[in-house]
Amino acid sequence: MTTLTDRYVAEVLRGIPESQRDDIERELRSSIADAVEVRLRTDEDEEKAEVEALTALGDPARLSAEYAGRPLYLIGPGLYLSYTRLLKTLLTTAVPLVLVGASAAGFAGGGTVGQVLWDAAGTALTVAMHVAFWVTAVFAAVQRVPKARDRRLKRWVPAMLPELPAQRIDRLSLVGGTSIATVLICLLVLVQLYGPVPVISPGLWESGWLYLAVVFAAVRIGFDLVGYYLGWGVPQAVANAVMGLAFAVLGGWVTAGGLLLNDAFLTAMGWPEGVVVWVVVIAVVLMALNDSVNGFVRALRRRTA
Amino acid sequence: MLACLLILRRPGYGYALLETLESCGFTVDANTLYPLLRRLEKQGLLTAEWNTDESRPRKYYVTSPDGAALADILSRDWDELNTAFSKLRDDE
Repeated sequence: MTTLTDRYVAEVLRGIPESQRDDIERELRSSIADAVEVRLRTDEDEEKAEVEALTALGDPARLSAEYAGRPLYLIGPGLYLSYTRLLKTLLTTAVPLVLVGASAAGFAGGGTVGQVLWDAAGTALTVAMHVAFWVTAVFAAVQRVPKARDRRLKRWVPAMLPELPAQRIDRLSLVGGTSIATVLICLLVLVQLYGPVPVISPGLWESGWLYLAVVFAAVRIGFDLVGYYLGWGVPQAVANAVMGLAFAVLGGWVTAGGLLLNDAFLTAMGWPEGVVVWVVVIAVVLMALNDSVNGFVRALRRRTA
Repeated sequence: MLACLLILRRPGYGYALLETLESCGFTVDANTLYPLLRRLEKQGLLTAEWNTDESRPRKYYVTSPDGAALADILSRDWDELNTAFSKLRDDE
């Protein structure tokens, strides 16, 4: 019959390298026997003494980890800050881009608005969870490799300090930008639905492409919020620029193809279509360019400060 | 750890050391002490050898010359810290 001690020792040895097992087993057994023997001096019951001795030793998994020198935590204090920094950077750059990309793909595939937005949000959430899981898994693995763990990933220097909130993106431009975007979108919708001649081509309105513009705007506002609350850096600027590029290409293509503006509106206003289209295309490209450049200026200003 | 190095200037085994530590007023868990002894042995601060003369084989540890030298340094650090605290107390 196996005793409690046998089971305890086997449990401890499971996590220990083969070469050390024999020695640890011998020593552990003799230590447990010593402890039992001392308890038997005052108590007759052998079983009770064994239970007490093993209880004093505690969870065998903990003892095993102590013997093998394994950490009893997932990510230790040496790596924790690098871990949260990397996680923040990836989540604030990759996820918004995925949201825009998935929406664009969805609208191009011709789904209904609700379905496309729902799917895009689902994709973004999946990506966020993958990012969180894999980053955590890699850091937990690094924590368990002594050579990799002891090499500092990035030394902290004072220049890495974030700007104070007022200097990041100031609150006025954050609130102003957000409300102007909202008002413009509302105006556009009202004119489209109740005005005498719709500005936007009805075909585009029905296709759902316009909602993609709303997604762009939402992500843009999201970037502003990230800049305001979490801080702005080169990775965020790159993500912002990629988004700006996507916006310029899509917006420019839709406008240049004559899909954006309503022909009836142009005729009613007496504006020549060719000129207006080019003005809009150039405006879209300049807007995206200006925004991307601003993103980098903000990121680099922080660096050199 | 310092206490282990000091007590083990005379050879001792795991469970006996645990009892000595407790009787001296050090609270230490067996599941911390046993792995610690092995680590100290691996670092060359303790030397160990099996003694099979008694009723059951026991692994006896004894402080090595390196361990004794470290114990001296640690004792001095401890004394300095103690002096510093005493001085703070007396200043009040």
